Amino acid sequence: MTTVSEAKQYSGKEIEKILHPLIREWFFSKFEDFSESQKFGVMNIHNKENILISAPTGGGKTLTAFLSILNQLVTLAEKNQLEKKVYCVYVSPLKALNNDIHKNLIEPLQEINQLAESKGIKLQKILVGLRTGDTTTSEKAKMAKNPPHILITTPESLAIVLTTKKFVESFQGVEYCIVDEIHSLDNKRGSFLSLNLERLNDLNKEFPLKVGLSATIEPLEEVAKYLVGISDERKVKIAKVQSHKKLDLDVLIPTKDLIWENKPHIQTYNLINNLVKEHKTTLIFTNTRSATERVVNYLKDKFPVDYTDENIAAHHSSLSKGHRFAIEENLRQGNLRAVVCSTSLELGIDIGFIDLVILLGSPKASSRALQRVGRAGHKLHETAKGRFIVMDRDDLIECAIIQKEMYEARIDKIHFPKNALDVLSQTIFGMAISKPWKLEDLLNLIRKSYCYQELTKEDFLSVISYLSGEYDLEKDRVYAKIWYDNDTREIGKRGKLARVLYLTNLGTIPEESFVTVKLQTGDKIGVIDESFMNRMHKGDVFVLGGSKYSYLYSRGMNLYVKPSPEKSPTIPSWFSETLPLSFDSAVEISKFRKEIRKRFEKNIDKEKIKEFIRDYTYTSSQASEEIYNYFYQQYHFSEIPDVDTITIEKYTDERDDKKYMLVNSMYGRRVNDALSRALAYLLGSKGASKRDVEVGISDRGFYLSSENTKIEKAFEQLNSENIEEILKQAIEKTDVLIRKFRHCATRGLMILRTYKGNTKSIKKQQMKSHFLISSVKKISKEFPILKEAKREVLEDLMDIEKTKVVLDWISSGKVKLSYNFVKLPSPFSLNLILQGHLDLMKIEDKQDFLQRMHKVYMQEIERRHNPDEFSYDEFLQEAGRE
Amino acid sequence: MNSVMMSFYRRQEENKMTKNFIFISKTLFFPKSGILAIGDLHLGYDEMIKEQGINLPFDQLEETKKELELIIKRIKAIYTLKKIILLGDVKHHFRFQVQEISDLRNFLKFLEKYLPKESIILIKGNHDTFTLKDYTLRDFHIENDIAFTHGEQDFLELYDKPIKTIVISHIHPAVLIKDKVNIKREKYKCFLVGKYKKKQFIILPSFFSITEGSEISEYSKGEKYQQVVPRNKLKSFTAYIVGRDGVYDFGKYGKLNSNSV
Repeated sequence: MTTVSEAKQYSGKEIEKILHPLIREWFFSKFEDFSESQKFGVMNIHNKENILISAPTGGGKTLTAFLSILNQLVTLAEKNQLEKKVYCVYVSPLKALNNDIHKNLIEPLQEINQLAESKGIKLQKILVGLRTGDTTTSEKAKMAKNPPHILITTPESLAIVLTTKKFVESFQGVEYCIVDEIHSLDNKRGSFLSLNLERLNDLNKEFPLKVGLSATIEPLEEVAKYLVGISDERKVKIAKVQSHKKLDLDVLIPTKDLIWENKPHIQTYNLINNLVKEHKTTLIFTNTRSATERVVNYLKDKFPVDYTDENIAAHHSSLSKGHRFAIEENLRQGNLRAVVCSTSLELGIDIGFIDLVILLGSPKASSRALQRVGRAGHKLHETAKGRFIVMDRDDLIECAIIQKEMYEARIDKIHFPKNALDVLSQTIFGMAISKPWKLEDLLNLIRKSYCYQELTKEDFLSVISYLSGEYDLEKDRVYAKIWYDNDTREIGKRGKLARVLYLTNLGTIPEESFVTVKLQTGDKIGVIDESFMNRMHKGDVFVLGGSKYSYLYSRGMNLYVKPSPEKSPTIPSWFSETLPLSFDSAVEISKFRKEIRKRFEKNIDKEKIKEFIRDYTYTSSQASEEIYNYFYQQYHFSEIPDVDTITIEKYTDERDDKKYMLVNSMYGRRVNDALSRALAYLLGSKGASKRDVEVGISDRGFYLSSENTKIEKAFEQLNSENIEEILKQAIEKTDVLIRKFRHCATRGLMILRTYKGNTKSIKKQQMKSHFLISSVKKISKEFPILKEAKREVLEDLMDIEKTKVVLDWISSGKVKLSYNFVKLPSPFSLNLILQGHLDLMKIEDKQDFLQRMHKVYMQEIERRHNPDEFSYDEFLQEAGRE
Repeated sequence: MNSVMMSFYRRQEENKMTKNFIFISKTLFFPKSGILAIGDLHLGYDEMIKEQGINLPFDQLEETKKELELIIKRIKAIYTLKKIILLGDVKHHFRFQVQEISDLRNFLKFLEKYLPKESIILIKGNHDTFTLKDYTLRDFHIENDIAFTHGEQDFLELYDKPIKTIVISHIHPAVLIKDKVNIKREKYKCFLVGKYKKKQFIILPSFFSITEGSEISEYSKGEKYQQVVPRNKLKSFTAYIVGRDGVYDFGKYGKLNSNSV
């Protein structure tokens, strides 16, 4: 096992001693003293210790990593000993950041060169090369011929370089490898990079020193292991640089009252406008791309004098590269009053001076909130000023608790996907292109990756079978990507096209294309996934940006709708981009609920409770009043759910005789997704007829609606041991699985985005994936790509591990289930119905459904006696109205 | 037996009395003349998907043969099978490819196990551009009072007086069934039967299983996509939905799903 230990902090004097005179002089001409992360990093890197540096933004991390490296390179350059090879690989998940670093690395280098020149010291030229998706072909060719000493790259471009013969030669003496922004690699891109780092390690006799740079993050030990991989010989140090930045936070309610205000949006924009006016530069974070555009347009419309194209801008990842750079440059120059963004400016791009960060809506996790607010007052010792603006009472409580976590420096833990078989397939294919491999060596290398340390031999072999075409039914095996020799137990590349195929299809970020949703007047509402439009029919109602719309028609890439606030959604909204609430924050909210519940039970008076709320959550008097009222209503209506109690309300909507089970389980959407679907599956598949169950999922709980309302029984049947099996069956027919399968099939190169010079549209990929998945199922339930799609749904989209924890709490009695029959949903539950993400658990067989509907049809004909007058469609509409 | 079931069976009886044909899964059979009509097969569709760079582990040819074998066996158990008529678009590609022709050969060999060559009739579809020495591709085929054609192009001969029934395929009819709450919806292949130009038209669903087919609203407008029966007329046709255990009468197509028209 990899050894993890704390890094030693060195004094400035000690560091000075190891610096080359040029570097020392240059450094002190720019800075007064070493920063804290430099005191941790520079010496450790110099001493060849692998190190993970976790520090708040603005801590000078990047220079920390480069200082020792430049120190060594300058020393060599002076002695004329620089070799023609890559000394340092710098990998960052952000393209924009790479350009940024380029500037920050090249400038110091130029200054050092000038300094040397002025002193008459001759230095060999230290080359820096930038290799990303934006690099031109001629630049690439130049680089292969004349390798840069420091290579700046992205995970994808690193994989390409590792598969390029000419480049690999200059990759055999890499001494340093810096991985920046590790905290943003808790996804398949992270799995992808970790495998490719092992490929890099494998090319080198000496293990290239790893330097990891990350924002404040937990758990550091795991992230450190991710950085260096898993092996007995590997050691890594952790440097945790504390933030000295003071936080100045508040939760603001834009209206006088969260319930009775008619036009909360107008008030919200007024509030934003006032805040922007009081500050020099404001950064506004929304949670979705479409909201970003909406906010900018609204501010420009409503305050045309204050906001123009020159002083306000939207920044998000779907903007063109040039456009993004221009905005970032304008920010640095201080030309902009406000920038509205989704997640794109969370990461460490240098954006100059920001004096206020506004968080519009809950950021859903304390780590993300810290990251966002940390963009204000970029220098380490300044105060970071952040303001939450909340839209409703659930949002208010959520933000209040996240604010508490931030003040108390508690952050949620990140999770790296484990054993992703699609990424593995892609990487093995890339490796086979480079050279033939013995299976054993290959598996050993893969298991050194943190993300694959527990990969089973079965899964590994099934990937090999898939890649070598063993699952293939065709005779000619055009899709076999590698050859496998059973006697020598070796694999290698197959076909001339292999390299082109790999290079044009590699990567892990699923391709999405978006359709613009518009009103008939032409007003833009937002964007939705293109594949989602394909499923829609006239009259369908769906949720976008919190409002309901019904689908009228589509023209090209525009989808026309009309507002339908009174109708229930008919389309699941799993497509929506909203972030899930972190489990840790959700549990914090439950604890807070418990505190309040206790106080109500003890009949403590209102002012005291409000005071408690203010102290506990660091909020204002207005906020505590709103929170108090919300809890007061819930307490007197039925029961406050809390950290020890899940409340379940059974309720029948008399208008349509629809039976609901409303479950207040505050565990975040990822747990509720798993829990609700498993219960729905049990409810739907028990009893005489298998019937579908309607599910609505949110961060705070979920609702189920079905004929069978014996949820008590379903809870009894479900436990941490059987949930995985139950869920695997439950998700079998879901759209979510089909969608994830398409992504996995693309990553696993089962669907080639680019093939024979043609690039496929998402629509085409999507249409085929439906049929593809059913064909794959027929071959083997363990088909690696299908298995991976299920794993991704269970572990990454949902959180099965935490769900098991919750189920154990329930069966041990730590958490009790409290059932209430109610005439109306309680205040807490009402939002579950109103905001829940609607989906249908398909349990009823397609053929059974046909027969059932035929009987309905026959009955109706019998009732009307004249089949020609009967309209099935009208009948359905009438039934819906009843 | 309750009244619902009574009426159900009554309708079934009526069907039998007035109709000289029966639905067997996705195919149409005329018991009197022993003719089996089969809709679009689009062999090679799987190949096309693979050509596009999608690794589809599905052997369309073998699956088609398997499905059809069951149908033929069912027919032979009760009736006499005298003729098989393939209503066109046997293969998917417009381009000529060696693979396709061998697939087609393979498929015809399979049919030849049950009937001699001269009893296997190939109708020309809009996707069919191949030629075979031992088979003729026909625009239409007339057998007593029944005419068989693909359904893209119209032919004067179809409307000769003695002809009562015209059997076509080409448009791959399908229908979307919803339930009360309009959340659950499933698409099924269907037959469409109705009167047009004084003839009884029977439109077969596609036989190939990769997609269910298209609702009327999904048929492309304009001249590019030709069909014998106009879209609007189809609304008055009766839809018979193909289910696992039988074919179900769902009444007028237009009334079944007004949203989609």
